[in-house]
Amino acid sequence: MLKGTKKTRLRMKVNGNPVEIMIKPTWTLLRVLREELSLPGTKKGCEQGDCGACTIILDGKAVNACLVLALQAESKEIETIEGLGTPESLHPLQESFLKYGAVQCGFCTPGMLMVAKALLDKNPRPAVKEIKQGISGNLCRCTGYVKIIKAIQNVSG
Amino acid sequence: MQHFEFYTARHIEDALTFLSEKGERCKVIAGGTDLIPALRKEDIHPDFVLNVLELRSLNGITELNHSIRIGSTVTFTEMVESDILSHFFPSLVQAAASVGSPQIRNRGTIGGNIANASPAADVLPAILALDGELELESKKLGTRRLPLSEAIVAPYRAQFRQDEILTGIFIKKLESGTRSAFTKLGRRNAMARARMNLSVILRLNNEEVVEELKIVPGAVMPVAKRMERAEKMLIGKKPETSVVEATATAIVEEIVERTGVRWSTEYKVPVMKSLSKRILGELLT
Repeated sequence: MLKGTKKTRLRMKVNGNPVEIMIKPTWTLLRVLREELSLPGTKKGCEQGDCGACTIILDGKAVNACLVLALQAESKEIETIEGLGTPESLHPLQESFLKYGAVQCGFCTPGMLMVAKALLDKNPRPAVKEIKQGISGNLCRCTGYVKIIKAIQNVSG
Repeated sequence: MQHFEFYTARHIEDALTFLSEKGERCKVIAGGTDLIPALRKEDIHPDFVLNVLELRSLNGITELNHSIRIGSTVTFTEMVESDILSHFFPSLVQAAASVGSPQIRNRGTIGGNIANASPAADVLPAILALDGELELESKKLGTRRLPLSEAIVAPYRAQFRQDEILTGIFIKKLESGTRSAFTKLGRRNAMARARMNLSVILRLNNEEVVEELKIVPGAVMPVAKRMERAEKMLIGKKPETSVVEATATAIVEEIVERTGVRWSTEYKVPVMKSLSKRILGELLT
């Protein structure tokens, strides 16, 4: 059995910026983002791919950061909620979530926004059914789904 | 998570050498959607983890003369979006579309679903019904083919050698006029582990007689298998309502025979019977 704590170099792009750090092979991308790169906007929920709170975009595709070993992100482009907008200039999805009251406790919001961004990047005019399918891997513990769906619909088309 | 060393192979030869050296101390990772939770729960304790996601020969869906090759690291999303698969094997596309959530489909792979051999895997019954064959590579044996039905004989254990990597899945094109369908029942639409699923391949001849039929229920048995007894009830016959009804009954009888009566049998029998009737009905209209 190996008991080492040897670290390995990881290079990737996060929100457009090149990142190079030493990490342990057992660390997930979620842990590296939150604890090593100080990007805690990506939430840690169930840690088994059920809740979607840790959704990020990896090379254009929405994935659960808790189900990616960080070293598998070598040379990849990662987008997190921190790259979506700034307080001065919100992303249209963020504006819309505020306008429609799609944020209650806020814990699912970063994941919802990232999965919505991935959906709209690929399909700018999704039908309501497609929006529902798009967010089907994200749980809102306040059950505010109707407003979330409206907010996404408002940005599309 | 217990410590392991991580290696990303850039060429298939590197991957095969690495695996032949490390043997059973090594686990292969592709999308990781099943493996990472297992590592986190410490159900498995590999000393080495071999990443095969960067191997080009494991990517892509290719049309060959008589068959289609699906690379083992093709994701469920890639299967759902594939024109080749939609054209040749709609049931496989339906099965891939029913897996997990969009995030899981973007990451999880067909090869991982097979290698992990979960009794609730969605694509296994669909590939079994299509008589899929696995392409396995190792340093020692080179490349060999193994029918999926021979590879999956126990839950969570695919019968590959320790030094073998699943590189692709071959499925023969179906004879013209053959139809395929997949249906699934889960507790919640997204993420639901299949409670029951069913894949069927069916072909009628010019006289409307059933010439070919393959029925594979999934998730209700420890290992997905064809229901050959039920198939025989319909093959060579015209699919009249009474024959379809008898076939559906035979399907549930065979399942109960294999699994024994459990607490859930009372629920599963009528539901599986209606699923069977529904899917056969769809294919026959």
